[in-house]
Amino acid sequence: MKIRAFDISVLTVPLVLVASACLAQDDFPSRPIDVITHASPGGGTDATARAMVAGAREALDVNMAVVPRTGGGGVVAMNYVNNRPRDGHTVLAITPTHLFAIARGQGPLAIEDLVAVARATDDPLVVMVRADSPVQSLGDLIELGRERSIKWGTTQIGGVDHVAGAILAQVAETQLSVVPFSGGGEIVTNLMGRSIDAAGLNLTEALDQIQRGDFRALAVMSENRLPVIPDVPTTVELGYDVVYSTVRGFLVLAGTPEDRIDILEAGMLEAMRQEGYQNYLAGAGLDPSGVAGREVWAAQLQRLYDDARQAMIDLGIIDPD
Amino acid sequence: MGLPALEYALPVFTDPLVIGLVILGTIAGVVVGALPGLSSSMAIALLLPFSLYLDPVPAIALLAALYCAGTFGGSITAILINAPGAPPAAATAFDGYPMAVKGEAGRALGISAIASSLGGIFSVVVLLFAAPFLARVAYSFGPPEYFALAVFGLSMLASISGEAPIKNLIGGCIGLLIATIGVDLTTGVERFTFSVPELYEGIHFIPVLIGLFAVTELLTQAQNLGQKRHSIRVSAVKLPSLADFRRIRSTILRSSGIGTFIGILPAEGGTMAAMIGYNEAKRWSDEPEKFGKGAIEGVAGPEAANNAATGGAMVPTLALGIPGSATAAVILGGLQVQGLRPGPYLFDEQPALLYGIFFAMLLSNALFLVVGLAGAKLFSRISLVPTTLLWPTVFALCFVGAYGLEQSLVDVWIMMIAGLAGYVLKRYGFSPAPIIMGLVLGSLVETSLAQSMIIFDQQWTGFLARPIALVFFALAAISILSGSIRALLGRVLSRSGGTA
Repeated sequence: MKIRAFDISVLTVPLVLVASACLAQDDFPSRPIDVITHASPGGGTDATARAMVAGAREALDVNMAVVPRTGGGGVVAMNYVNNRPRDGHTVLAITPTHLFAIARGQGPLAIEDLVAVARATDDPLVVMVRADSPVQSLGDLIELGRERSIKWGTTQIGGVDHVAGAILAQVAETQLSVVPFSGGGEIVTNLMGRSIDAAGLNLTEALDQIQRGDFRALAVMSENRLPVIPDVPTTVELGYDVVYSTVRGFLVLAGTPEDRIDILEAGMLEAMRQEGYQNYLAGAGLDPSGVAGREVWAAQLQRLYDDARQAMIDLGIIDPD
Repeated sequence: MGLPALEYALPVFTDPLVIGLVILGTIAGVVVGALPGLSSSMAIALLLPFSLYLDPVPAIALLAALYCAGTFGGSITAILINAPGAPPAAATAFDGYPMAVKGEAGRALGISAIASSLGGIFSVVVLLFAAPFLARVAYSFGPPEYFALAVFGLSMLASISGEAPIKNLIGGCIGLLIATIGVDLTTGVERFTFSVPELYEGIHFIPVLIGLFAVTELLTQAQNLGQKRHSIRVSAVKLPSLADFRRIRSTILRSSGIGTFIGILPAEGGTMAAMIGYNEAKRWSDEPEKFGKGAIEGVAGPEAANNAATGGAMVPTLALGIPGSATAAVILGGLQVQGLRPGPYLFDEQPALLYGIFFAMLLSNALFLVVGLAGAKLFSRISLVPTTLLWPTVFALCFVGAYGLEQSLVDVWIMMIAGLAGYVLKRYGFSPAPIIMGLVLGSLVETSLAQSMIIFDQQWTGFLARPIALVFFALAAISILSGSIRALLGRVLSRSGGTA
């Protein structure tokens, strides 16, 4: 029964394609733009998309809506976007979660189907412990793991913070047990409550705890230090090439006309440079440099995907072929 | 937090814009809450972009009012048509709907309104005076404590409704089994998903709720259509009488405490609060056998608890920046969109904001009592609508509600399957209450146990070092064994009485 409903929608897609191709020739955007997210209302991606859309409505002079298609680690959202005409009126908000799903072979899309439009946030993972922990540095943490397994809080098996922790343990030759939770907030609570030893959290998730002195940041999993915590070294500085970050951005699918991608990119970048979006970034503790154009974003997407795939092969989550 | 500094509080309390928005938010919240499938968290998420055009205080006041009123609104449809408007109202239907069938819809609505309002006000007062201290409670609840809490919740499973403990246990197991669908959090293994991506994150609660309550009721009604219908009497709307209020006041007080506490726990919100509020109302009742058949404590218990959870949930949200419930998470998003960072500094930096939220929630809790009582007269007339018109309309609403949640047809199928299954189970004397309970607690009990075992390096003895968990385990043991202990004591006493 489910299959029948699906078939009908597949049959109607060519009709919609033809219709929209006739309608929208030069005048883009000619109808409301949908931004598809995989996140529930209130989540980070949802909030980012809404903050962008608030400004982009004016910048692109068109109505825009955030459309949540939750479930399946982004697969439901990717399915939905894949069934829509590739005419620029459907934009996908994307995070590493989607790339991990693609790397696992889930969903209808391949990495080649993704065309970057603009990056909205770049939020590196920061290795943290409680401030009263005897662990003073990343070296101490690695040493601890050689005595007994580090309890490392993550949000999802096979997610970016799991892979980050596992790869760090692999590179540093130490032991780590992954304790999965259903969100960053829970990890913060459990790190505070001493149930876990350490976690790779986004700065946005634990900025307060760091500033208040509850958590100690050991290392930023990035190439560059973060302006908000300038004293914290990066993993690269410390000699571990383990770079992971929660990036969020927007893209369309391959086949969307180039001129339309340019219009979308210009409109979104303008929106994200406005005060409203910048206030959102500041409120969330994010660096304004997270906003970036198509070129930077496309290169990063590809690199993230390659890293994710390699990490998952290394961890035995997927087969190399 | 100390006493409200009047210099900050007064301008907020007398701002006509804030008052106007709170009234608006309250009315909208009651309506949105009452419609199955439209949740207050969804409404708040939709309002977020518009709230950007307001100053932080009025914006958050609007969202907070929606949250409080939406939680109450869910009980209206739970009572009138056995279709809880929101998950936290599920437990309200257990006794609220039987009351409506008996022609006591007005009385049930009145009790729901007063219990919700008092529970909400209790929790807001706690929020204002104790937020920073209570927020620390959140930290002492790790996976082992959640596991023990969930076990305690499940310990009432057999006795939650009716006189058939075996059927309740079977129902509870069905709920637990449904909760296993989806990707297992601790192993990443897909279970019973049949490659349907919509099932990766588990079965959504709302479609099951709509199916199990509304669709099941619809099918039951359809079966009775040919027969002579017992005419549903609509009694004059009864505001809680003094006698009623005396009967429920201890329930309200107990549930307010339970709700506030569970609300403070970051992972749990109104649904679990209402379940435990209902359990405890039954456990402490002199007439537990009346539960499930229209006991007024069975309405007051969950309603006071789920509204108390709203204030409780705001405690960690504001004081720690960790949302205490799904809706609180959206409000947290709202604060961030305004450029505010919730956390201990928020109150020092933005005292006006705290009083704004406090005032909005207090006013909203008082207002929906008025809206609820005034509306009860109007709402309870639903019972006068002929069955042949009412239930097809409800059926259409079921579809809208199940689909509207995530615009997913899979959810519509889940709703219909749950409805059919619920109908069959009902015919064989099963109650939906233990199924709902198993579903609510199932993933928590499993995930928290798995997390605990990783933390304890797979050693059970780890639990012995967690005093809070041990207390809940002890309570669960007492709860399960109380029947046998009472029987044993009775036998021993009567024997010693006989020989003396």
